[in-house]
Amino acid sequence: MSNSMDFPLLKHSATVSRQNGHVVIRHMRDEVTLEGAAARLFSNVEPQLDGQTAIERIAEKVSEKPARLRALVEQLEKTGVLAFLSTKDDGATLSGMDFYQLHRQHCAHWLEPVYTHPLWEKIVTGKASRAQVVGFAFEKYHYIEAAFEHMGIAAANSTPEMMPHLARHFIEEYTHGDIYRKGLRSLFQDDIILHSQPLPSTRALVNYLNESAQRSSFAYYAGNELLQMTENTDDGAGGAVDEFYDAMRKHYPYTEKLIDSFIAHTKADQKLGHADAFLLMCKSVPPLTRHEVNDALNVAKNMAEHLVLFMDGIDTFYANFATVPRRRCDPQSE
Amino acid sequence: MSLMQERYRAKRVYEVTSSQGAAELRLNDRVVELGTQEFEWYQKVVSWLPSVRPVADLSNDLGMTEAKVPKFIEALESSGLLYRVDTSGATMTGLEFHGKFSSVLRSWLTEAFAHPFWERMMSGKGSARLFTGWLIELYHYTKNANRHMPLSCAYAHEKPIKQLRAKHYAEEWNHYHYFMKSLRALGYTEPQIAESVPLPMTLALSNFMRQAARSDVLAYSICSAVLEGTTTDRKTYNPYYEKSAELYGLPKEAIAPIYAHLDLDVQYQHSDLFHDILQHVPEMSQERASIVLDAGHQLVEHIWLWTDNIEKYYQVESNPMPRRQFDILVD
Repeated sequence: MSNSMDFPLLKHSATVSRQNGHVVIRHMRDEVTLEGAAARLFSNVEPQLDGQTAIERIAEKVSEKPARLRALVEQLEKTGVLAFLSTKDDGATLSGMDFYQLHRQHCAHWLEPVYTHPLWEKIVTGKASRAQVVGFAFEKYHYIEAAFEHMGIAAANSTPEMMPHLARHFIEEYTHGDIYRKGLRSLFQDDIILHSQPLPSTRALVNYLNESAQRSSFAYYAGNELLQMTENTDDGAGGAVDEFYDAMRKHYPYTEKLIDSFIAHTKADQKLGHADAFLLMCKSVPPLTRHEVNDALNVAKNMAEHLVLFMDGIDTFYANFATVPRRRCDPQSE
Repeated sequence: MSLMQERYRAKRVYEVTSSQGAAELRLNDRVVELGTQEFEWYQKVVSWLPSVRPVADLSNDLGMTEAKVPKFIEALESSGLLYRVDTSGATMTGLEFHGKFSSVLRSWLTEAFAHPFWERMMSGKGSARLFTGWLIELYHYTKNANRHMPLSCAYAHEKPIKQLRAKHYAEEWNHYHYFMKSLRALGYTEPQIAESVPLPMTLALSNFMRQAARSDVLAYSICSAVLEGTTTDRKTYNPYYEKSAELYGLPKEAIAPIYAHLDLDVQYQHSDLFHDILQHVPEMSQERASIVLDAGHQLVEHIWLWTDNIEKYYQVESNPMPRRQFDILVD
């Protein structure tokens, strides 16, 4: 996307902190430290880096040489913490492959609160209750079983470019809920599993997928890909996952068959090559407008927040309402 | 699966309190007191019922012979803690169903609003930020009525029910302006609020209502009735607003529009709408009654988790408020 170089903007999601005369600017996984004169200049101009004030005007306001200020903001732009805004929307487009890179970069950042959620620690140290541990398995089952819903809706509402990918994905995934159900059947009656009720937070995740799938094929899959990234780990996280399961087996021996089902599902996904699905989609879509890029990334960001909610639900709801499995109401149960 | 597992289910327990070696279990229609030992046995029975474990396991857990287990389960049934699953397939009228709903609504609302957030706000441990955050989410929820109310009209099949749902929508569709007015009094601009992003659980509420609207107009209507149940009279909501205004220094101009909105709801008698709708339902199967009731209870659970989501997000001072859309150019 091309922009005018005159209107510097400190990115809204960047955070600035100060210590011992140094200025530390953080944006996603990047961090820039300014010292001495650069730190002082940045502090002077920070409020003006709003994307609406030209470099010359900012320099004039703080009695600074424009060339010196320009040198600083151009350096900051290279690190990604600052952008230059255009005075008008130039209708720029982005190729699918460029979007793919951008998406991975942002999703990795948005997934951080999922990976650091306190529920993992509770399970690994044996502090999670039985309801939280068994509830975790049930909610994973409900989420995977919901492929019938969101993948079905996505395939039925897909654009021509996305249709072959979404059809293939549905066909490969719709049986995966049964992998989890097999694990749960080691503890509970099949009919009860089939008719059990997900938590509102799990329902929230599934419904958000459903609603996105109905509205925009590409934005939906950009959100779904964020979820897939937590399953298809090719960054060495496999070891951490194994350690998690080992600890779970140790503290909660009754989850043996449940864990087998988790692992069986991960292997099934990896065998199907789902890690490449989004890459193929991005290769096949026409260039994306800024609106389409924002739409897809907003869905991915919201999906990350829904995933945190999914974890919160298991952690908090089962701690307060320990009934599991969650059976549906009938006129006598209330 | 044993016959006992097929035959019995546990009643919903809304609250368990312990005092002097006894446990008090509050059901919808009664309180059952159990001794420490009995309570432990009861918990073992409840976790055994949906399991694949044989009766011998339960007998072992309870430390009683297999012959004695059915007697203990019957005793739990007599106390009201367990019930026999009705397989008769009996039907009920819409108004009979409304009677069932009315009998359970108070317990449901207590459950929905049992989140510690409310106690925190009323005891002065909350903040103006939490109050405002909750108001922003309420603005989004009310505006999102436009995502589900018309859908409930579109998916209703009977003319009288379609009309009742449409009238409700016509009366409610623009009520988000009341919350906008409150938020303006708290210093926010209209674009700041209108372009903001709701929390996931706020969106989840309206998405769940959309799901209910598509599946069964009665499932949708019970959810609406649960929400309207919170606004039947001023006594229900006055303390929260008045106390918050006093504790957190909120201007009168921020509270007045909320009262105006709630008074309007009372004036429209929206809490009677579910009754009016069910008058047009001559017969409901057990299965449909269960599905509808279940939608209502899911909504109750949504409210609890919605409150949790609001508290968790807005209590962190560094979290943006209102929440902005992500924009690749500026983020």
